Amino acid sequence: MSLSIKDTSVKHSLGKILFLCLHIFWLQAGDFDYSIEVDKSQPYMKEATLVTVNLKQTNHDIVLLFDFDLLKSPDYTFQRIDIKEVDTYHAAEISYTYLVYPLKVGKVDVTFSLTQKATTDESVAYSFSGDRDNVKGLVTTNTHIDLPPLILDVKPLPLGTELVGDFALDYQIQKHEGEAFEPLPMQIRIKGKGYPPAVKTLYPKEGNFTRFTEKPFVQSVSTRQGTVTTVTYAMALSAEKSFVLPPLVIKAFNPLTEKNYELLVPKQTFKVQASDSSKLLDKADNPAPFILDWSWVETFLSYLVVFMAGYLSALSWKWQKKTKQKAEPLKEKIQSASTHKQLLQILLSQDKKYFTHSIKKLESTLYENENTPLKQIKKEALEKI
Amino acid sequence: MNQKIDLLKKELAKAVIGQDAMIEGLLIGLLCDGHILVEGVPGLAKTTTINALSQALGLDAKRIQFTPDLLPSDIIGAQIYNPQDHSFSIKKGPLFTHLLLADEINRAPSKVQSALLEVMQERQVTIAEETFKLENPFLVMATQNPIEQEGVYALPEAQLDRFMMKLVVTHNSEDEELEIMRHVANKSFTEVKPVIDIQALHTLQEEVMKVHIDAELEKYIVQLISATRDLEKFGMEEVKHCLMFGASPRASIDLYKAAKAKAFLEGKSFVSPSDIGYVIHNVLRHRIVLSYEARAKGVRSDEIITKIVETLPIP
Repeated sequence: MSLSIKDTSVKHSLGKILFLCLHIFWLQAGDFDYSIEVDKSQPYMKEATLVTVNLKQTNHDIVLLFDFDLLKSPDYTFQRIDIKEVDTYHAAEISYTYLVYPLKVGKVDVTFSLTQKATTDESVAYSFSGDRDNVKGLVTTNTHIDLPPLILDVKPLPLGTELVGDFALDYQIQKHEGEAFEPLPMQIRIKGKGYPPAVKTLYPKEGNFTRFTEKPFVQSVSTRQGTVTTVTYAMALSAEKSFVLPPLVIKAFNPLTEKNYELLVPKQTFKVQASDSSKLLDKADNPAPFILDWSWVETFLSYLVVFMAGYLSALSWKWQKKTKQKAEPLKEKIQSASTHKQLLQILLSQDKKYFTHSIKKLESTLYENENTPLKQIKKEALEKI
Repeated sequence: MNQKIDLLKKELAKAVIGQDAMIEGLLIGLLCDGHILVEGVPGLAKTTTINALSQALGLDAKRIQFTPDLLPSDIIGAQIYNPQDHSFSIKKGPLFTHLLLADEINRAPSKVQSALLEVMQERQVTIAEETFKLENPFLVMATQNPIEQEGVYALPEAQLDRFMMKLVVTHNSEDEELEIMRHVANKSFTEVKPVIDIQALHTLQEEVMKVHIDAELEKYIVQLISATRDLEKFGMEEVKHCLMFGASPRASIDLYKAAKAKAFLEGKSFVSPSDIGYVIHNVLRHRIVLSYEARAKGVRSDEIITKIVETLPIP
């Protein structure tokens, strides 16, 4: 096994002052050679570093396949952006290109995972002889290759840096006036090339206002030149009274120019028209408080009263009749008659045949000089009733 | 004269058991040339009584069952064309009789009722251009069924006034009904024979007219009738709302005549207050019109009459 390192510097065609440091580590195995290229060996933290791994078959008697990737680590993040493959007969060549963002200051080991898969033409032919209903696996002889890590010397960022890269900020506020608790929409967008600007909190959630936010909308495209990202923060502010939104200052650092800069949203004043709190107050409980409904008792009692009133009215007719019967006004009238003439008048008015004898006696007394005692006639009449 | 009345009553008793009030009412009507309206359920010997009365008096009796499709010509009679000699002849209706039982008069339409009631008043019938006087006596006993109210034509107050008396016929007592049952079962009712002829009846009518009535009682009668028209005036404020209309002058006349007839039937030559008291309910009960309020409260016209008699002092 032999190792060679190559440094190259490339001037950017657009005139930007960028010098890429390219380190190439060449390794040779029994069946293939490989090299690792890196555009800078001393990047800043969160600065995009382009890493390319090239694999080239040297044993042309076999069919050779590779399984390669970077190993995950909390010290960096990476993104594979390209694979170039030259599939010549028994001479495979593959290049893997990654963007690596170191997340730690100091020495960062970028580690690899590589498996060599050797097979024969017969095995390949056999695997192709199947169809979709009869898939035949390719039989390979796998060999894990331990690659030494790529060591990056990561430089620290200036103090207080929140964004790394070349970014621009714009914001949009639909209106600065509203009624109490009316949502006032606001949108902030950060766009540029660099480490994706994952700022969790732009403004405090509450102060003398309330902030409602959505999850930031992120659009990101990674190329060899870096990652171009647009992050949109949509939010709405709400307050009871007028309030002032403090200025937003995000400190950023551009590693290409090695300069600090600030993204700024100036102080914003919002006028809120206070509303009558009595109107805002929801006087009705919602959902309604649980109250045991006893209204059916009232309804039942009202029906009962109506029923009883009707029932008693019907009965009262009987009672009246009984009362009348008990009272027997005719008997009382006969008893109260003080003269023969009065008694005659009472008996005549009744139109009862059974009083005929009494009437005759009364008339005889009144008009024919007979003298039958009133008491006796009364008694006789009362007996007839 | 009372012997004849007693004889007549005895003869009637051969065919009619009980129903003294109806018989007495009929006799009063007969003696006063009045007509009688009888209210009672079927089967209370109304037809039997009329037939028995006609037989006992040797009079002609007919019965008309009033129905909704009855026509005036059905009771009055009509002019009939004779095709053989191309002439018209008069066919007299059942009205041409002495005693007429108009059964269920309220079942006939008002034009038939009017035809009958006109004849009752005028006592003559005009068919085509010929007028026929009805024979004397002419007594109509009309009946009304108080139970059925469907399909009936109630007699208007003006026509009810033509009836001298309205009798309310009730069922016989249990003893009387037992006797009726036995007689009918054994067919033991004997034939009613004429005991009085028309001439004798006319004599009785003249005798009734001769019955003396004191001037005080005449005033009493007028006061009784007046009281029906103005209850408040006679101190009956508590029942003044019960009457819509009082009795007509025809009521005074009929009460006067009925009281005389009653006195005559009692064998008296003069009218006493009791005679008026006996007939006043029959004479007035169909002539006074109760108010809606009174009818709603179930007040009967008899109760008002009782109140009037109770209130007005007798002479």
